[in-house]
Amino acid sequence: MKATAEEYAFHQRICARDDPIAFAQLAEQLYSPLVQDVYKRAGYSHPLDPALVEEAVGRALLDYRDQPQRYDPQRMSLHGYLAMAAFRDYQNAQARESRIMNRQVSLFDLSVQEQDFAEVWNLFDEGFNVDDIWKFIDETFPDSVERQMVELIINRERSIEPYARLLRLDGLSDDERQGQVQQVKYRIAKRLRRQIRRRFLS
Amino acid sequence: MSNYQPSLDRLAQLARERPGLLAGPLHLYQEQEGLDDEQLAAILKCDVAAIPRLALCGRPRTTHFREDVERIARYIQADMLQLAMVIRAAESREALGQSAEGASPTLLAARDYDEDDEDE
Repeated sequence: MKATAEEYAFHQRICARDDPIAFAQLAEQLYSPLVQDVYKRAGYSHPLDPALVEEAVGRALLDYRDQPQRYDPQRMSLHGYLAMAAFRDYQNAQARESRIMNRQVSLFDLSVQEQDFAEVWNLFDEGFNVDDIWKFIDETFPDSVERQMVELIINRERSIEPYARLLRLDGLSDDERQGQVQQVKYRIAKRLRRQIRRRFLS
Repeated sequence: MSNYQPSLDRLAQLARERPGLLAGPLHLYQEQEGLDDEQLAAILKCDVAAIPRLALCGRPRTTHFREDVERIARYIQADMLQLAMVIRAAESREALGQSAEGASPTLLAARDYDEDDEDE
């Protein structure tokens, strides 16, 4: 299916490089539907990482803005083109993450994770302003699922179940669920550590 | 996913690496001035939700600066003069940062001094 008239008009504006709001308007219109679309393509039943999906969609949109001539409006819709690029990017990122995580998860156990989260627990214990900490968490984890994961971690929830429910891991075996929860917790721990050091400890 | 609503915030964050957009210089400006989105929105007299949209706008062309800033200001419903001032300041800081990467501390101090003088 070719580009719609609206997509074609956007494409012209982006190519012309003389309209400072063209890309922002396009992103406003397409970002959310593209994220939903990539989710659908990836399948809701999988333990998806919202951050990876959004990053893939973001990169697809930004790459298109940088090199709009790569897209041919006669061949397919702009939405389809961007969704395809984002999904491909997501798959690559997911595969890369899985390879890394599979190696890492086998190497560390829960006690290592406890240590990883000590820095965020310490923030609360060491008298940093609680509002500032929550604001920092909101900014670091704009995705609501991740944020709820962080809240569970901060509340020192040790059971796998609440995490698995958040990640919609219903169809998986106990071992698979535990592995997936560990992976996401590990990723969150990594991001938390990096950002805490940057924001509070530098 | 049913209650998941992606926002433009993450896209605006990714856009900081893209040189043609305002996201990079704005972020630098906010960092250096210690401004969060709400404070920047207050300066620009616009809604805080407009800040990621602003970050995704292209940089105004030097040859059409006023025209482009007007267009952006209308789009995010911000005060045009304030927006022009913030964009100029953000781009200057960025340029200063780039040229200062190889500069000596003395030169940096001198530049800071000049900048302060201009503000007065």
